[in-house]
Amino acid sequence: MLKAENIIQLGQLRVVRGVLLFLFFILIARYFQIQILNHDIYHKKAEGNRIRAISLPAPRGLILDRDENILVDNYPTFILSAIPIEFNDKEKKIGLISDLMGISTDIMEINYSNYYRNKFLPVRLAKNLSFKQLSILEENKTSLGGTYYGKLPKRFYTDHLNGIHFLGYVGEINRKKINQLRDSHSYTIGDFIGWSGIEKYYEELLIGEKGIDFFEVNAIGEIVENLSDKTVQPVPGSNLKLSIHSKLQKSMEQLMKDNSGSVLISNAYTGEILSYVSSPDLSTKKLSGGTTQKDWEKIIADSDTPLLDRNTSGLYPPGSIFKLITLFPLLEENKIYSSWETNCGGTYSFGDRVFNCWKEGGHGTVNMENAVAQSCNIYFYQAVQSLTLEKWSGTCRNLGFGYKTEIDLPEEKTGLIPDRQYLNNKHGKWGWSRGAMLNLALGQGEILVTPIQLLQFANIVATNGKTNKLHFRLGNTSELLLSESYSDKTWRLIQKFIRSTITHSKGTGKLADPHIRDLYISGKTGTAQNPHGEPHAWFFGFGKYKEEILSVVVLIENGGHGGEVSAPIARQAFEIYFSDKIQAHLSHAIN
Amino acid sequence: MQLIKKFQDANLILIGIALSLFIIGLVGLSSIAVHHEYLNKTSPFIKQSIFLLPGIILFFIMFYMPKPFYHKSAYWIYGFSILSVSIPFIGKTIAGTYRWLDFGFIGIQPSEYAKWIVVIVLARYLSDNNLNLKKMVTLIIPILLALIPATIVLRQPDLGSAIIILSPLIPMIYWSGVRPYFIFLLIAPLISILTAFHPLSFTVWGILMLVIFYISQPTLVSGVISYFSYLLLGLLSPWLWSLLNTYQQRRIITMFNPELDPLGSAYQVIQSQTAIGAGGFWGKGWGQGTQTHLKFLPVQESDFIISVLGEELGFGFLMILFILFAFLIYGIVQLAYESNDRFSSLVLIGIGTILFSHFFVNTAMAVGLTPVKGLPLPFISAGGSFLLSCFMMLGLIVNMGRNTFE
Repeated sequence: MLKAENIIQLGQLRVVRGVLLFLFFILIARYFQIQILNHDIYHKKAEGNRIRAISLPAPRGLILDRDENILVDNYPTFILSAIPIEFNDKEKKIGLISDLMGISTDIMEINYSNYYRNKFLPVRLAKNLSFKQLSILEENKTSLGGTYYGKLPKRFYTDHLNGIHFLGYVGEINRKKINQLRDSHSYTIGDFIGWSGIEKYYEELLIGEKGIDFFEVNAIGEIVENLSDKTVQPVPGSNLKLSIHSKLQKSMEQLMKDNSGSVLISNAYTGEILSYVSSPDLSTKKLSGGTTQKDWEKIIADSDTPLLDRNTSGLYPPGSIFKLITLFPLLEENKIYSSWETNCGGTYSFGDRVFNCWKEGGHGTVNMENAVAQSCNIYFYQAVQSLTLEKWSGTCRNLGFGYKTEIDLPEEKTGLIPDRQYLNNKHGKWGWSRGAMLNLALGQGEILVTPIQLLQFANIVATNGKTNKLHFRLGNTSELLLSESYSDKTWRLIQKFIRSTITHSKGTGKLADPHIRDLYISGKTGTAQNPHGEPHAWFFGFGKYKEEILSVVVLIENGGHGGEVSAPIARQAFEIYFSDKIQAHLSHAIN
Repeated sequence: MQLIKKFQDANLILIGIALSLFIIGLVGLSSIAVHHEYLNKTSPFIKQSIFLLPGIILFFIMFYMPKPFYHKSAYWIYGFSILSVSIPFIGKTIAGTYRWLDFGFIGIQPSEYAKWIVVIVLARYLSDNNLNLKKMVTLIIPILLALIPATIVLRQPDLGSAIIILSPLIPMIYWSGVRPYFIFLLIAPLISILTAFHPLSFTVWGILMLVIFYISQPTLVSGVISYFSYLLLGLLSPWLWSLLNTYQQRRIITMFNPELDPLGSAYQVIQSQTAIGAGGFWGKGWGQGTQTHLKFLPVQESDFIISVLGEELGFGFLMILFILFAFLIYGIVQLAYESNDRFSSLVLIGIGTILFSHFFVNTAMAVGLTPVKGLPLPFISAGGSFLLSCFMMLGLIVNMGRNTFE
């Protein structure tokens, strides 16, 4: 069948060729007519043909708190731009604009060179125009051919809430930055981009899509008409709902005003962040535009490092909170029974060194529960002897230390959990001894953790390891999986011990309890020695009320004793959060 | 070894022309890219370059597939293609049409492939030895074979592709050797419709038909029936016209008088004509076209890329482009003539028609000779599915153009 002979005649070929020749001839004749014969007409037409496309920036998505209060909003500003190919007599026109609107020519010249892309695309000349300036511009548009003004939405921080460390801020893309962006096509010079925090992490979601406005202009570049039926409206970015509890956040910011450190509060089951304070911070008002170069330099040079997010990037020794780490393998593998007792005389000799308890004179006879409640060092010096370094560092890792928590923020440090290899590399194989373990057991020495890791640890302990990853974006829950799980007995005992820290008459965390009915606080304090002065004061814990668990981590840098300085701040957090809840319950019950 | 040997048989000139066209396309697209603000998407230049590799792979697949495979499985492929142009109707509309099959990471336009699949199935039918070319009835099946996918595609709605699917029908029927009178019977209704809106032309056409019928001497009954049904069709066309979409109507109207609607579809023609005309003989230079870069030209990377090239590179360059296309089409027709077997010959003439129709409609609409159809320029315009389809057609051409059987 395939081999059916080709029976085509030469005549048919000639007809086909003829048709093709004819059509090609028509086409070439038409192009000749347009491009050669009528070239002048079309050339003139192209010169007078003036419809300009100006892109319309899209407002970024709003950022809301858990009750849908707006945390970050937009407000419109006006900018003046020019299309270079039409902006002839540039110096003269810039001079005129300067005279009319009181903007210095230098600023406009600098802007012109900073924002210039090519002769066909608009260049930004001036920002933040007032209505008065706009109307002057409108009156003089005949002498200002080639200029356009348009809206530029800017970020506006509505509340008195600072929150800069999680909200982050946006920045303008400059020539240098645009080359670093992976997908530079979506951005042009002068656009805003999330620079840090949530703004950066959720950039894709918040950014929206630009639109285009078309203008018909006359031969001198003056706008004749806005072709509004052709306008492509910008699509605003998606709104982002965060789990932040504004009241709590605001109160915690107030409490921390005179301290350096951090307060972290989350829902232990869901992993939702309710409060995220890193102090000192900056007023977001400073970021709502208008921050001068000088201001920035001052902020960056500040020795209190207000731009550093201590929660995810601050590295600290965890202090006594880490005593709990030692308990996990001890209890799990029955290396020591919880009833085992030892005598704390205030000192402990190991090799040729003497280690002290924080309490001069010692705690006397202590069992595991008392040792946790009163944070006895001697007990843990002895207990840790039954663990290997590998076991200990493995437990730290399993409980989230040494890794990122993968919270939805762009920057996070992993901290440092020393293991055999690390110590060998650092001190040489013979340069360290098991004595290092004694320090590590107390959360001292070469351990570094971030506050956010401790908050995650609080959630793990509070929920028997069945919690979710920490996050800001509501609904963005994903399970936190521990590679090694622990028995119910281990969880129960550890929870019992840290409950004693609060309830025991000599408990170090007593001050964290607001004494609200049905609210059960558990926790552990830490007083972390460091080379920068007074020890860092830690509190780590959670409060359980009915089915809800609120976890809290407080750090006061160089604050002294955790139980005295940090625990009271945690108490306030519990009080503020749960008294509202109880009010709600009560009024519900009455109705 | 065999693979290399087969490739040595291939017509390298045609491949060379196609690749030159592709490079010319990249030149145009790169010019667009320099000054363009892409709102949240990748530039067509980069996209087009990325499509080259899959294009070459598909070319080789089509080339190395043995001829008998196409012949044998023609009807299967055809059935599959009918299915795939129908599937988009199940999904969501994309930009108001049902043209796309969305696979998430990539969208495919099945109608692009339907174009040459219809050619294969027509060639299969028309190359049959048992075909009685003396009877008009024989032509009903090929007409249906082309009409079914064309109708589905028209409903997507995609008038341009529907016309392209129909375009090989008459050249292939002619090539298969039927009486020219039959061809007249096929074309006559179209002319009836076109002249129906103009009383004088319609009268002239009515008389002309009468003369042709007299000369061709069909049987009295068939002649009379055909004649009057064609007249009737002409009288009914105003009603058929009202069935078209408003935008399709508008496009056709503005073909005859673009000034009527300067911001509608004629806006594109005026702008494109201005761009091409302003280019003159030498053009304004690469990246210098004011029409192009001040965004007068809509869809400049696909349907109106010829205007970009015309404005920036001028008449001289366009003539080189046209000569390349002329050689490509001429070469395909020559292969069809020299082919030993009827199937290959018909496939070649069909594909040649598709490529030529694309070329002609695209370049003619840019200068106001035909309505704006949204048909891309083969190997040059940006557009994934169509570009890949072009490379597949090239593979098919070179494959069918070898005078050997396997």
